Amino acid sequence: MAEEKKGRAVATSTAASIPKFVRGNLSATLKAKEEGKKVAAAFIADGQDEIMRAMDIVPAWGESFSGVCAAKRDAEKYLQKAESDNFSRSLCTYATCNIGFDMMREELGHAPEGAPWGGMARPDMMLGNGQLLCDPRFKWPQATQHYQQDVPVFVTNMYYPPWDPSGDHHEVEALYVKYAKEELHETVKFCEKITGKKMDWDRLAATVELSDKTWDLFIDTYELRKHHPTPMDTGDAMNTMVPLTFNLGTQEAYDFYVSLKAELEQKIKDGVGVANPEKYRVIWAAGLPSWFALGDFQYFNGKGVVFPVEVTYRGCEKVERLDLPKTNDPLEHIAWRWVRYWTHWYDAAKKRPGSTPKVERIIEYIEDYDCDGAVFHSAFSCRSWHAGIMQQAATLKKVYKDIPILIMEGDIVDISSYNEADTHNRIDAFIETLAAYKAKKG
Amino acid sequence: MDYFAGVDIGSTMTKVVIVSGRIESSLIGPTGPEHRKLANRVMEEALGQARLSFDDLTYIVATGYGRINVPFADRQITEITCHAKGLQSLLPSVKTVIDVGGQDSKGIKILNGKVMNFVMNDKCAAGTGRFLEIIADSLGVPLDKIGEISLTAEKIAPVSSTCTVFAEAEIISRLATGEPIANLIAGIHDAVATRIASMVKKLNVEPDIAVTGGGAKNIGLVKALGSKFGRELLVPPEPLITGALGAALMGKDIYEKYAAEGQKPTRIGKKLEEATFFK
Amino acid sequence: MTDIQNGNGLAAAEKFYAQYGSRARELKASGKKVIGYLSALGPVEIMTAAGVLPIRLKGNVSEAVTKGDAYMETIVCPFVRNVFDAAVKGKYDFLDGMVLPHQCDSIDRTNETWSYTLNLPYWHFLNLPHVADDPSIAFTQEILRIFVRSLEKYTGNKITDEAIAKAVAAHNQNRKLMRDLYDLRKSNPPLISGVEMMKVCVAAMSLPVEESSALIESVIKEVKGRAPAAGDPAAKRIMIIGDQIDDIAVIEAIESTGAYLVMDDLSTGSKMYWQDVDATPDPLRGIAERYMRKLKIPTTFIGSAPTYQGILEERFGHMKNYVQDFKVDGVILFIYKYCDPYGFEVPAIKSYVEAAGAPVLYLEDEYSTSSLARIKTRIEAFLEMIA
Repeated sequence: MAEEKKGRAVATSTAASIPKFVRGNLSATLKAKEEGKKVAAAFIADGQDEIMRAMDIVPAWGESFSGVCAAKRDAEKYLQKAESDNFSRSLCTYATCNIGFDMMREELGHAPEGAPWGGMARPDMMLGNGQLLCDPRFKWPQATQHYQQDVPVFVTNMYYPPWDPSGDHHEVEALYVKYAKEELHETVKFCEKITGKKMDWDRLAATVELSDKTWDLFIDTYELRKHHPTPMDTGDAMNTMVPLTFNLGTQEAYDFYVSLKAELEQKIKDGVGVANPEKYRVIWAAGLPSWFALGDFQYFNGKGVVFPVEVTYRGCEKVERLDLPKTNDPLEHIAWRWVRYWTHWYDAAKKRPGSTPKVERIIEYIEDYDCDGAVFHSAFSCRSWHAGIMQQAATLKKVYKDIPILIMEGDIVDISSYNEADTHNRIDAFIETLAAYKAKKG
Repeated sequence: MDYFAGVDIGSTMTKVVIVSGRIESSLIGPTGPEHRKLANRVMEEALGQARLSFDDLTYIVATGYGRINVPFADRQITEITCHAKGLQSLLPSVKTVIDVGGQDSKGIKILNGKVMNFVMNDKCAAGTGRFLEIIADSLGVPLDKIGEISLTAEKIAPVSSTCTVFAEAEIISRLATGEPIANLIAGIHDAVATRIASMVKKLNVEPDIAVTGGGAKNIGLVKALGSKFGRELLVPPEPLITGALGAALMGKDIYEKYAAEGQKPTRIGKKLEEATFFK
Repeated sequence: MTDIQNGNGLAAAEKFYAQYGSRARELKASGKKVIGYLSALGPVEIMTAAGVLPIRLKGNVSEAVTKGDAYMETIVCPFVRNVFDAAVKGKYDFLDGMVLPHQCDSIDRTNETWSYTLNLPYWHFLNLPHVADDPSIAFTQEILRIFVRSLEKYTGNKITDEAIAKAVAAHNQNRKLMRDLYDLRKSNPPLISGVEMMKVCVAAMSLPVEESSALIESVIKEVKGRAPAAGDPAAKRIMIIGDQIDDIAVIEAIESTGAYLVMDDLSTGSKMYWQDVDATPDPLRGIAERYMRKLKIPTTFIGSAPTYQGILEERFGHMKNYVQDFKVDGVILFIYKYCDPYGFEVPAIKSYVEAAGAPVLYLEDEYSTSSLARIKTRIEAFLEMIA
């Protein structure tokens, strides 16, 4: 994802090691067979990481692959292949890019020529997830099975209590934790069946402990970005999220954040910021970025605008803040962590009439990171992350201060929706409103 | 002697073909907004050309965008069915038809003159002749020269925006940075061909493949499409009339089917009057 | 109501179709609470047991979305946008509340947009799962129990298991009657046209269950009693597959060519009526099983069979049965743009139904009549193709 035509320079040298992670994840799938490991097509932030890592199952991250294709501006042929069998262009382009690739690999018997970094291996299983996040997470593997009919698909249903301003989620927490735990158990049973191996529960417990530590380290590292000037912005975070998102439960992921934290601490000591001078600080409030246009962050930086904090791909919180009940059962721990993370901002929203948890999270970050404005990105093929952004922006305006808000429109993978000149124009106009707001703020 | 007429009212052109055992006459005229009411004039001219009167006609089939507004037609049949019929009578070896119109494009699989499967794009300009028209216009190049120019390009300058509006902006800015105009024109032909091909590939494409409609008169587009399928594509002598020809032949088929049972099909029994879009 | 009593079921259906929600308004005026719900997942048995009138929400395909766009993204499912727009425009101002089932992203990601904008006295997000394994059925029972409690809180009345069981029986009876009406479409020509059937289905989803049953009975009597139409032996028998189609526009586009629409697999049609709720000691169990296991919808993942072919049978086997039972010549797969759940299934459905012996026309459209002419051309070309 760091490698794209614009040659976006990352502000941190640690982030420069990310392509190795991404590439390593793809090639791990290609090497798995000879290493005697099973490959599972999987999707991020679904609570299944530790189970896979503890069983030496190699995840084939479709979302990473599509992101790479998009960043290299080489997704079109896969999208067209999917379209040729009647997958609509309006569907999630992460999915259709992968499905197109899988269709080609199936027809050819090997990865198609020119596949970024050799592509991904044919999986032995697909682990989907039906949660409150995203329908493609169970429709996509199901649709892929039409072209890989011998590859079994399992869908874990990881739910958390929905937001209800008139209810109390604490009353139903136990129900959701029980359900999540049972679903995780079913997931383990499925993985045992496919791998032919039993789960090593001690190893799972150790993996969960490591992922807890990684969560904590991640937050400790990112909170260094509160500093003025910020030592790292969202442009980098769209890279540095990779280990947490794709390699959770591994030592490499943990070690990455050790390096990143050290680098940020050094930058703070040396007074080095992303933009010099740093004129405005903005939160990336929601939305997946356009992977082919990460250079836009540099455009912002060039005008003195930095993003010290983002909601996207910050899929964790300090474990102590979640106040998790003690348990010896690693699956139960994952379940509690899952439910408490996703409901973490509910209490704050209850205290502020008219607010919603997503908005409370944005407000918390605006205050902690001293932001002057908010940017949302609405990707047309992704209802999961982008339906509801208008409501978030409107609620933020209503319950908080009148800070400048920009809603950008584009897509995650499909470049035909992107117009650079137009985007830069909108950014320029937004920066003018930031100037006006800051002047008023004093 | 039985005479069968096919009337194809497209969004931009109206075509009439009269057949007996052979093509007696064929005519193409602009539909246009002001001329909508006067599509029957094309019919009158075609009759004149064939030295026939309206009453000489045995059966009339209307097709195309405006087929419901031909009061004197005995039957309405979609342009998909009619193009398949017309194309196969002109080029019997064809199994896949690509019709590129001004406002839409279609892919049709045919077998023995019958439609086996079809796909259409009539929502998005980027896969139709309209895309080329808009770009030609903004570049100040005559539309009928644009295909030739694309063939003189040294290389294809790829156009990444598939939205017509964005593509226009992209091309203008590339021109400003010195990209040769022929390369850009080759680029837009490639872009349109790519969109059309990806739609047509939803069919199980089999050779021979033919291109028809206004787009078939653009040699650059025909070549670009050919490169997407890795073969040379066939083009009928007059691509604009395949629909009307097919309609006339469908009429002939219908008449002969009834005649085989000693019957005649019901005729609408209306005189030649204005074909109008306003009922 | 008198239309139904006088045996003019079709006229009554026409009225409730054309003036959607009119009966709900009447009942509201007389003191009944009215709760709107989206999709075939709305557990009508529970709402009936609560003593409220459940009304299935629909939009208007002839109405362009305007006001709704100020609050809701245009990438959301066009059907959801249209219904939201209707609500914002006050078309549902008789509602006391809504229950939105967690069917798909377009619904669950806009839940706050709906609830915060409309600000109704009662709101419930019914968090039904996407899978139907054993833990999920048990979970669903609990989710339904939470729903029951919220209705008790709102109405101030206890909802007993007996009341739920009684509602289950009433809705099962309603389904059986509708299936009897569908049976009259098996003949050639069918005794009731697709256009008439759509009006009956739409009317039925807006009435209290007893009135809905009376309407269906009245229609059955009327169509059985009328002189049969001449019928064209060459006319093709068509089935339509899709989610919420709730307007006669597309049906007319099909039947105006001379074809008969004889069957459907729509969330406003057979999906509402084909499976009954089993009577179980805890009545919520039977409801959970019907809505999560018996009801086949793309947003509930089905994939437990050991082979792929087996999985296809689990997911789509009912479509094959319909093709055979209703002697279907051709199938129209009518999917809305921006619909991930159905969109991802298109290749599998198409290949399954074609293998079952019926050619398939796949159409992608908006929830709107604005592109009806284009749709009509494709339908006509398809019918010419299978003639």
